Formats: sequence, structure tokens, C-alpha cells
Amino acid sequence: MKGGIPVCSDRKLSPAEAPATARESTPSFLSTDLGKSVVLIALALLMLFAGRLVSPSLGGLNQISAVLVLSSFLIVVAFGQQMVVLIGGLDLSIPSMITLGGLLAFAWTPHGVGELLLVALAVMAVTGAVGMISGLGVTLLAIPPFIMTLSMGIIIYSACLGATRGTPRGQGSETIEALFSGRFLGIPLIILLVAVLAALAILLQSRTTFGRFLYATGTNRQAAYIAGLPVRRMTVATYACSGAAAGLCGLLLVGFSGGATLTMGQSYLLPSIAAVVVGGTAITGGRGSFLSVLAAALLITTFTTVISSIQIEEGWRTILYGAVVLIAILAMRDGTTPLTWRLLPLLRGNKKQQST
Amino acid sequence: MTLRFKSPLIRGALAVTTALGLLAGPSYAQDEKVKVYLSLSYTGNSWMTEAANVIKALAKTPPYDTQVELIDVISGVDVQAQISAYESMIADGAKGIISFPISSTGLNRAIKQGCEAGVEMFMFANHVTEPCAHSLAYIGSGFGENTAQWLANEMEGKGKIFMIRGVPGSAVDVRHYDGAMSVFSKYPEIEVVAEYYGMWDDQTTQTETTKALAAHPDVQGIWSQAGEYGALQALLATGRQDLIPISGENSAGFRRALIDPALKERGLTGISSGDSPVVAAIAFKMMMERILTDRDIPNHNMAYTLPWVPADQIVLCTGDIIENGCNTFPADKVPDSFISEAFNPAYAPEISLSAALTGEPTPGATIQPLPAGELFPEAQSLPGINCDDCELPADAFALTFVKPFDAN
Amino acid sequence: MPQDSAISAQPRTLPSSIGAIRAIFGSGAVIAAILYLVMFVLYLALLPGARSYSHFQDQLANSLPLALAAVGGTFVVLTRGFDLSVAGVVSLANVLVATYSMKGTTGILLAALMVCAVGLVVGAVNGILIAYLRLQPIACTLATMIITSGIALLIMDAPGGNVPSAIGNLLFERFGPLSMPMITVGVVILLWAVIRRTDWGVGLYAVGADETASRLAGIATASVKVRAYCVAGMFYGLAGLALSSITVSGDPTAGNSFLLQVFAAIAIGGTSFAGGRGGVVGTILGALVLMLVQKLLFSLGVSSFYTGIGQGVLMIAAVLVGAFSAHIAKSNNT
Repeated sequence: MKGGIPVCSDRKLSPAEAPATARESTPSFLSTDLGKSVVLIALALLMLFAGRLVSPSLGGLNQISAVLVLSSFLIVVAFGQQMVVLIGGLDLSIPSMITLGGLLAFAWTPHGVGELLLVALAVMAVTGAVGMISGLGVTLLAIPPFIMTLSMGIIIYSACLGATRGTPRGQGSETIEALFSGRFLGIPLIILLVAVLAALAILLQSRTTFGRFLYATGTNRQAAYIAGLPVRRMTVATYACSGAAAGLCGLLLVGFSGGATLTMGQSYLLPSIAAVVVGGTAITGGRGSFLSVLAAALLITTFTTVISSIQIEEGWRTILYGAVVLIAILAMRDGTTPLTWRLLPLLRGNKKQQST
Repeated sequence: MTLRFKSPLIRGALAVTTALGLLAGPSYAQDEKVKVYLSLSYTGNSWMTEAANVIKALAKTPPYDTQVELIDVISGVDVQAQISAYESMIADGAKGIISFPISSTGLNRAIKQGCEAGVEMFMFANHVTEPCAHSLAYIGSGFGENTAQWLANEMEGKGKIFMIRGVPGSAVDVRHYDGAMSVFSKYPEIEVVAEYYGMWDDQTTQTETTKALAAHPDVQGIWSQAGEYGALQALLATGRQDLIPISGENSAGFRRALIDPALKERGLTGISSGDSPVVAAIAFKMMMERILTDRDIPNHNMAYTLPWVPADQIVLCTGDIIENGCNTFPADKVPDSFISEAFNPAYAPEISLSAALTGEPTPGATIQPLPAGELFPEAQSLPGINCDDCELPADAFALTFVKPFDAN
Repeated sequence: MPQDSAISAQPRTLPSSIGAIRAIFGSGAVIAAILYLVMFVLYLALLPGARSYSHFQDQLANSLPLALAAVGGTFVVLTRGFDLSVAGVVSLANVLVATYSMKGTTGILLAALMVCAVGLVVGAVNGILIAYLRLQPIACTLATMIITSGIALLIMDAPGGNVPSAIGNLLFERFGPLSMPMITVGVVILLWAVIRRTDWGVGLYAVGADETASRLAGIATASVKVRAYCVAGMFYGLAGLALSSITVSGDPTAGNSFLLQVFAAIAIGGTSFAGGRGGVVGTILGALVLMLVQKLLFSLGVSSFYTGIGQGVLMIAAVLVGAFSAHIAKSNNT
């Protein structure tokens, strides 16, 4: 998309971009990013197997498959949220965008793979365009992202409510549902789809000009601007990404449950933020990779899955959930405090163990 | 510059206000219709949408269409927003306010203010502890204990079950749950292997049930509050052949599944019970009769009879009205999430399918007066729901629809 | 931005009175005040029945919980922080008041102490984790929000409880023409006037505007932040108490609706999320504006389905107006 940018601008920006580039290319830093994901996934697996103590059926393949399927929604929205956070913003319109995407997918009911692709693109185009409006408000009108996306969320929800008069119309699509019921080599299609999307997302962040500009802009907006990067266009693009991702999540949810409701997106806002911060993304922008966010999304879904099959009061479940988030961000945090120094070798150790 | 900017702003604002004030003024004076408000705390689920629709349809049905002006207001999901809405309605000279109260206790001050100003305050689907309001709900009608007993009977008192609750921190959820537990606790061989919150929402219930099924694929029964269709879908998604009894509420998807021969063959049975949006319509008619004819309604916290439809009594309707004992509609007429119990031929014969779906009046229908007499019995004392400083009666969880099976 | 913060942090004599007015005009509080007045006049014009002093008082009382919570949030936002724990602390304070309150005036005092203590503890945890262990504010407070809402659910698993009548009547007490909410707001504004002249008050703005520079300038930035979170927590606790007075009951999820509204009130009040600019007075007005939006839409007869569109547009417009006039003030000053 941004292929036309002259190479020299890369050179110019190198001082500002230095930290981000260093993270991407120096092996020791790369291992940290990967290491973070390894630690998060190891934690998730540990939880699954610890569940065996409670119930012998916990921690089996069945459950891992269920966790992977359920986490696909969170992974998709967390990607969008992370893109916005990387540039120093925050997207609170995600729940309404999911609903909008779900309503559209429900109304357009694709039959067959061709139509599904078409509908998916159309849904993502609409929600992406709405996300773009948020982006324009943030860049051109200098409205704080928090207020812009919160307001857009309220506006979109209200528009959905008004347009449907409270009752979404449409039909469940067997083609989207097939993503959840169908299997390829014994693996549910949805897991394969999300794996492909995640790979694309990681490539987008680490291997494209757009990705590098994104980190540069998030690290130091002013410097990026001076260096001649299209800061505004980039910002708008991240909000569009988030909108499109949320729209896709809405479509997937329609496939999962065979219908759309106006409240379908509500439970994804805080988890999307949690996945992004647990994944070690700096909320001030510029730092974090999708790989660790993906791992964080898996960890969060695993935790909620395991905890819901344990018989304790809802209050305790909530407290434990908060504690896990807190411990995870404590373990993931960047900085130069003693704990991190103790943790870093541990991460590297894990990496070594993996490779041997 | 400041001053120059400021004064036109204020002058402009004043001009606008005067203009709007003039526009608004005469319309109030000319109005002969009684002004009533519908206050919803949120909308977006099928239950609330249908409840709003049946009220809107009634207000447009003759002769109400010429007698009443209904204005619907959706406030936020917080108590303060609904308090604020009530206060504005009272200030606007409402004759009546019909409302789904978001809290049983938090709105009392505003409700009392309304009563004192002579406004008829009618609540549906939830009670309030302020005694001056009227309310019609099924909370104390035994949903939890009866459905739990039905499930226990189906399972002959033993097996692993899921309990799907509503919204954490909701008094209604706790009443249903306590009722159900009063039954399950009598059967030591019934093991609750997972208990989670479905938020009264199909989607969330499906997600949570998927999680629970992954951990406990050997579940033998499901007790569910609203959202049961999501639980069923999660069960079907596992691909298992043998299905299990599910007690749930009134979604059309659930009822249709219960009479699906293929699913029945696989062992699916169920009971469809629970909250009915028609309480909104009946409460509205009660309020209108209070306002128009000054009807005396002695009971303030009224208990609506629990709808109770076992699988073998489910009949699909062929037309757009409830007739010949039918009690749900086919898939081409209503979505899966449609709440089937939106009708009551005795108390609200004006409501047809189109009224519940769109809020438009049933063609040709006219408002029929409510039956004479007491209408509905006083609901049992529910502490924190319809009374302060009271206790749940000792026989609160008495079974009314099912008897315990005979273990011998 | 540094220039702006200097203006707001240290009220200094400007060259001319016109300059002073411009500087004030640019500040969020005045914009929010004008916005509120315009909306209020409109509302009264549209709804003749609302033209009573007691209706206005009720409205104030109803806005007080949000105003107090948003005041707390302002301290944190000024330091360029972010505090989501408001939702959990308000719920927790609410259920505590509904569970453990005693009757009478001493009951009020004890309840106030209790909610402040709880808020202080949560705030201290937030502050220490953020200032000393360098956790990201949004991440850390997300976790504490979840944990505190869990504790609230443990204390009370469903709405209920009994709030003593002394607390129930607290916000509705009248002292001549004055009411408790008015006095509370007055006290908060007075407190704020004192605080912003203290070292800590100046530190709040300095840390928010440029943390590194403040540290180099010898400000104990970490302690400034910790105290900001502590004070914020206490205000959330008081907001929970005020909420208990209005609803006369406890609800373990009562605080959830505060989460996003608090930040909307802060933004409308002209406090910058980039830190170092804004103040408490604007926030209070922002909360009042926010609570009035719904009433205004009601009086305008906006169809209920589309109320949200009006709300969203008004919120964006309010922030835009504030930003625009701040821009004017800035360009006039230079």
C-alpha cells in the first residue's frame, strides 16, 4: 500500500525508528518478543493441565480445540485494537463495530465460498470505512481517540438499533457456519483461517513498510512527521484496520451462533484491551508484536474456559481473572527493574529449551 | 473579541430557545390526549424489543389511538439515567409512566415523586420496593424450582448438570437460582459440574456452554435461564449423537428444536417456561384503565402466572395469531431468538404476531377491557425485590407445576 | 502545550485584562460552563414543567456521583495517567455502604471514612504499581478494576442491602437555598483551589506535561503520581457513597456505567488526555453537561432509538468546541 514511499525517507527516520527496528532485527530482542509469547502460551498450557486436577476431562484435546475456536474472536478483534494502540490510540467502538458487522453478515447471508468472500469483504469495507471516520476525527479534528471512538461506538449502536428497530433481520448462513463445523485434516476450519490471518498480521507488522512506519509513528509521532512519514494517513489506516477486524469478528460470530443480536459485541471490549496489554504492547504506542498479543488472547480464553468449569463463586472467578491479568502484565512489563533482569534469562532459557 | 463572540452566541441561543419554546407551547395546550411515557433502561435483546412493541401496538389500537399519546424513551443502563428520565417525564406532565425498572430499589425516590405528582407508575417484568407503584412480573411465580424439579424428574434424581444463570449481581437471577437449588440440593446424586452466567443472551450462553462442554462432555442435563437456545446450539456443535434434557425459557428456536423429530429421536427433551413480554402489554392496559376509568387495582405487586410448556404441548401456529392451542411460530415467520410467549388471548387479545414483531397494531383489533375482578394475585414477598424489611415466605419454593417423581 | 500548562498551573498576571479573559476563554471550564448554560436554557425552554428549583436540585444530586468520580479521574489524567479502577471502586464502595453502614450522623461519617479508606488502598496499589514498578496505567488499573468488582460481588451477590435513612437523605438535605450537592461541589472546588497551589498540585501539571523534565527539575515524580492515584481512589469511594444516597441500596455492578462516562466528563471539561492541561472545575461541569445531554434529547423529543446518535454527536461537538476555543486562546496568546 505504501510502496511508493522513497527509500531515502527510511534513512531519514532511522534515529526515531531506531528502537523499534532494533527490536525487530537484533536477535536478542527478537527472542524477547518470541519469548513473551512462549511464556504466555506455556502459562495457558499449564492452566489447561492444572485443570486436570479438578476434572479428568479437562486439558484434553477436546478442550484445547474449544479454546482455540473460542479465542478466534478475541484474536481477530485484538489485532485491530493493537494496531490502534501501536499508533498511540485506543478503540472503544469495537463492540458496536462487531454488532454492525454481525448485522450486515446476517442480513446478506452468503451462500457458497465465493459469496462468503464477497460478503466478508463488503462487511469489512463498511466497518473499515466507519473506522476511518473515527481515524479522521482523531487526526483532522484532533479529538482524543478515547472520546472519538466512544462517541462513534454510541452512534453506531444507536444507528443499528434504529435501523433494525431492535430485531435484526436475516438468516444464518450455512457457509459461515461451515467454518465452525467443517474440518480439514481433523482441524476445525476456523482455526486454520485464524492461523492464516494471524500470519498475515505478523507479516504486515514486521515485514512491510507500513508496519515499520507504524512503529516509527507510535514511538515518536513528531519525529515521524518531520521525517516525512504520512502520519495522518497511517493513523486513519489503523482505525480502518480495527473497524475491519471488528466487522470480521461480527461475521464469524454470526457463523458461530447462527444469528445476530444487538448485544453480540458487548463482551469483547475489555478482553481486547486486556489481550493487547497482557501481550506487552505499550499503550503509549510503538512497542509490541501481534505474536504476543495472540498468545495473550489464547491465555485469556484458556483462563476463562478453565475457571468457568471450576465450582467457585463468581466473585472469586472475577478476582482470579484480575489477578491473572495483573501477574501477566507484571511478568511482561518492560523496564530496568530487578524483576525483569531475573526474568530475561528465564525467557532466553525457555527459548533455548525450545530450540534444542 | 471574546465579548463579540460571546454575545451573539447567547443571543442566538436565546433566539433558538424562544423559537422552540413557541413551537412547543401551543402543542401542549392543544393536546387532549393523555400523555404517557414508556421508559426502557436498555433495549437490543428480543425480549425487551417485543415488550416495547406490544405496548406501542396497543397505543395505536383504537380507541387508544385517539386517547393516548405514548412517548418511548430509552435511557442508559445505569440507575441515574433512568431516575433522570423519570424526573423529566414527571416534569413534562405525564399521566402515566410504564417502565421496565432497571433496579428494584434504586428508583424509589423518583417513583415516589411520580406517585405524589399523581402519575400512575406501572412496572413490568420486575417489581420495585416502593409500595406506591404497581408492578406485574413472574419473578415470584416459581420458575427456578419448577424447572429444576422437571429436570430432576427427567434425570430421575441423578447425573451431572450445568446451571446457566443470568446476569451476575441481578436479584432476579438469584431468586431463580435459589429456587432451583432448593430442588437440586434434595438430590445428592445430582452433581452441578459447571455453573456459569449466560447473561440472558443466546450468544454468551453458547460461548460459555462451549467452554463448559469442553471440560465436561459427559453432562446429562442443563438447567438454563434465558439463553437456552445458545446452550442447545453449543450442545449440537459438539456433534454428539445422544442429546439430553434442557430446561429453558421461551425462545422460538428452542421450542422448534423440541418438536424437531430428528432431535427428539436423539433424546432431546425440554421444558419451556419463563418470562413473557406480554406482561408489558397487560401492565399498559391496567395503567390505561387506571387513567381513563379510574379502575381500582388493589394489588400492587402482582404475580403473572408462569408460562409452562412441556415439549409435548408445543404446537406451531399456522397463521399470525395464537389459535387452536398453538404456542410458537415457524422459522420463516420469526427468528430463533423470538420470545414465543408474547401473547395472552384472555388479557391481551389485541396482540398478534405482527404487533409483537413490528409494534404496529393488529388490523381490525380494538382494545378489549381487562377482565373484571382482582386481575392478578399479590406476588410473594421477595426481599429487596418487592419489599424492604421482609422475609421470603417459608413456602416460597413450593412446587406449582410439577411434582417430584416417585423414586420407588 | 508547555505554555498552556504553565497558564493553568500557575495563575499569573497576564499583560492585559483582555489577555486574561482570552486565557480563561481558552480553558475548558469556561467552555463547559457556557455549554451547560446554553443546554440548560434550551431544556427549560422546551420543558416548561422543569422550571422549578427542586427539579434543578434533583438534577444536581443525580449528577453528583459522576461528578465526584470524574474529579478523581482528573487528578490521574492530569499526570498523563489513566484509571479504569473507578468502575470497581464505585461498586465496592456502594456495596460496602449498603452492607456495613450504621444509623445516624456518626454513620455518615464512618461510611465516608470507610469508602475513603477503600479508595485510598486501591489507589495506593495502583499508584505504587504504576509509579514504582512502571506498569502501564491502563493495564494495571484494568486488573485492579476487575479485582475490585470481584470483591464487590463477593460482598453482595445481588442488589439489595439497606442504606440507613441518614445516608439516603444526605444528598437531599437543604440548608436554606443551598443543598448538599451544591455544598459538596463548593467544597471540592475550594479544596482544588488550595491543592493546585501546593507543590503537589503544581507537580501534577508538571509531571503530566513532561515527566522527564520534571524529574530533572527535582520533582519527586513517582510520589506525585502515587498521591494522584490515592486521591482519585478516595473520590471514587465518595462517588460510591453519593450513589448509595441516591439509590438507597447496594448493587455490585453499580460502578460499571461510570467507566466510560468518567472519561467523557473529563474530556468535555477540557482536561487533556495528553496530560498537564485542564482542571477539576471543568470536569464537574463536564459531568453536569453529560447528565444534561439525555434530558435535553428528551425535551427535544429525539426518537428513542436514535438518542444514542444525538448523545455521540453532542459529545464530539462538546470536545470540538473546547479544542477550538483553546486553539483560539493559544494563537491569540502567542
